[in-house]
Amino acid sequence: MTAKKRFLRAVNFLFIVLIAVQFLPNSELKEDNGIYVIWFSLIAEAAVILVSLISKKEQGLNLFSDIISFLYALLILWTIASAKSDILDKALFPPPGDVFRQFIEDISKILLNIGSSLAIIVQGYLLALVIEIPLGLFLGYSVRLGNAATYISKFLGSIPPIVYIPYGIALLPTFRSVSVFVIFLASFWPVLSGTMSGVLNVDKRVIDSARVLNVGKFSMLFSVILPASLSEIFVGCNQGLSVSFILLTSAEMIGANSGMGYYVKNYSDFGDYTRTIVGLLVIGIVVVIISFLFNKLQRFFLRYKR
Amino acid sequence: MSTIEINNLTVDYVEKNKNFTALKDVSFKVNSGEFVSVIGFSGCGKSTLLSVLEGINPPTDGSVLIDGKPVVGTGTDRGVVFQHYSLFPWLTARKNVAFGIKQTQKTLSKAERMELADSFLDKVGLTKFKNKYPSQLSGGMQQRVAIARALAMDTEILLMDEPFGAIDAVNRTALQELLLELWEESRKTVVFVTHDIDEAILLSDRIVMMTASPGRVYKEINVPFSRPRNRVQLVQTQEYTTFRNSIISYFYNDITGRIGGEEVVL
Ligand SMILES: Nc1ncnc2c1ncn2[C@@H]1O[C@H](COP(=O)(O)OP(=O)(O)O)[C@@H](O)[C@H]1O
Ligand SMILES: [Mg+2]
Repeated sequence: MTAKKRFLRAVNFLFIVLIAVQFLPNSELKEDNGIYVIWFSLIAEAAVILVSLISKKEQGLNLFSDIISFLYALLILWTIASAKSDILDKALFPPPGDVFRQFIEDISKILLNIGSSLAIIVQGYLLALVIEIPLGLFLGYSVRLGNAATYISKFLGSIPPIVYIPYGIALLPTFRSVSVFVIFLASFWPVLSGTMSGVLNVDKRVIDSARVLNVGKFSMLFSVILPASLSEIFVGCNQGLSVSFILLTSAEMIGANSGMGYYVKNYSDFGDYTRTIVGLLVIGIVVVIISFLFNKLQRFFLRYKR
Repeated sequence: MSTIEINNLTVDYVEKNKNFTALKDVSFKVNSGEFVSVIGFSGCGKSTLLSVLEGINPPTDGSVLIDGKPVVGTGTDRGVVFQHYSLFPWLTARKNVAFGIKQTQKTLSKAERMELADSFLDKVGLTKFKNKYPSQLSGGMQQRVAIARALAMDTEILLMDEPFGAIDAVNRTALQELLLELWEESRKTVVFVTHDIDEAILLSDRIVMMTASPGRVYKEINVPFSRPRNRVQLVQTQEYTTFRNSIISYFYNDITGRIGGEEVVL
């Protein structure tokens, strides 16, 4: 890549605009937290320059600078609409500087809440994976059970998992255990049906190759069928993970005293919209990071495909 | 070494409650260390025949005996190479071969298996590609790996179902030479399915010709050429041309007898 291609990019231009916008006069005489936006954009810009310097593939650099450009553009519009004019109601949409500042002040509280949410997701989700994948392999492979299981899981999968919550509350002692239970059920059907359909779609020729190698039943399931159906298992796991997140944050808004859903709901009840926005953004970021990592994992496991 | 005896083998497929007879009263013998090709038109039941030898399909009637004992299911006494998907796409060439070795030589340690796999990949000329996945290899290379695996498993019998059928002509020639060379070393009992007459003549001791609907053995012919065979010299001889023509005319007679003189290309 030429130096021009590396550094002369929209993202750098937007960076300058974003900084400049912070110095416009505020529409209201109030504490100005624009400095927090400046700090943030300086860090982001440092990252952009670093990536521009080291990245070898243009594609990767494009992706990164597009994402940051989007962030910059958002912050520019947000700053103008909220801090520099009266387009947005300042109580409902506090300026970005206020949100950044609040985020930094609340960071330890936020991390605790993220931790609490993630712990529940991980428990419920992993429980589902550990039970569902072997079960799906087994059901998918034994044709007769598989046929019945397909319909049963269609039926059960069509029930929104949130309706299990009252039963969870009636049956289980703590909010935590109810959440783990609901996450487990929510990931249950996508993972099960993804695994089963993966197994049913395994090429018969692959199975025949394994059979002529005289593999035992256990190897057939875990060394042949499992890797052969991995793409579809991943699709199911991905769906399960998304559903889990939506469900957990909703559940936390209903009955929890910790977690990111609780953080958002609690402060919006008190009319603290700065923190509400902090909470929303943090949830979004956590989801993005997790799906990024999930993608990496998937790529690693399916690296044999071209 | 092992002999294969096929006695009055009949195979029916059941589809939508209807019986379809794919093979009818097929009988022939393969002697120990013999290379036998099975040729016939597409759909005449060659793969069905092999699937019974592999142990994937059971006979509907008749029997298949290996060393006098009926075949029951798959077994590690037979190595198999298919036309497609012999290899597991998620394993590297080396691990595919090692997987096969693990199935037959259970006492070997992992390091020994890998070492053995490497030596067989070397035999088929793929040392440089041993850590590639099948999707990163050409069709010919994939079949080399499959052959390496079948040989590394050290079975007495080798069953091959049109292993070079999807390979371009140049690479097919190379693969035929390689197979011939490796077979001369090991002299396994081989059943080799093909629809390529030249391939069958070059490789085999005997050719079993099949006809379709239902699949039956039409004729068995010994290949009269001494080994080792040199392809280039062989195809130039009058004997070769005569022999090749006789095979074609057998097929032609059979087909014209059935469908009344229409032109058929083998
Ligand atoms: N699983 C199956 N079910 C029903 N019919 C089959 C099946 N496999 C093969 N056949 C039929 O049996 C006949 C022989 O097939 P096959 O053994 O694959 O022939 P070849 O290998 O000589 O091309 C064909 O008519 C084919 O359609
Ligand atoms: Mg066939």
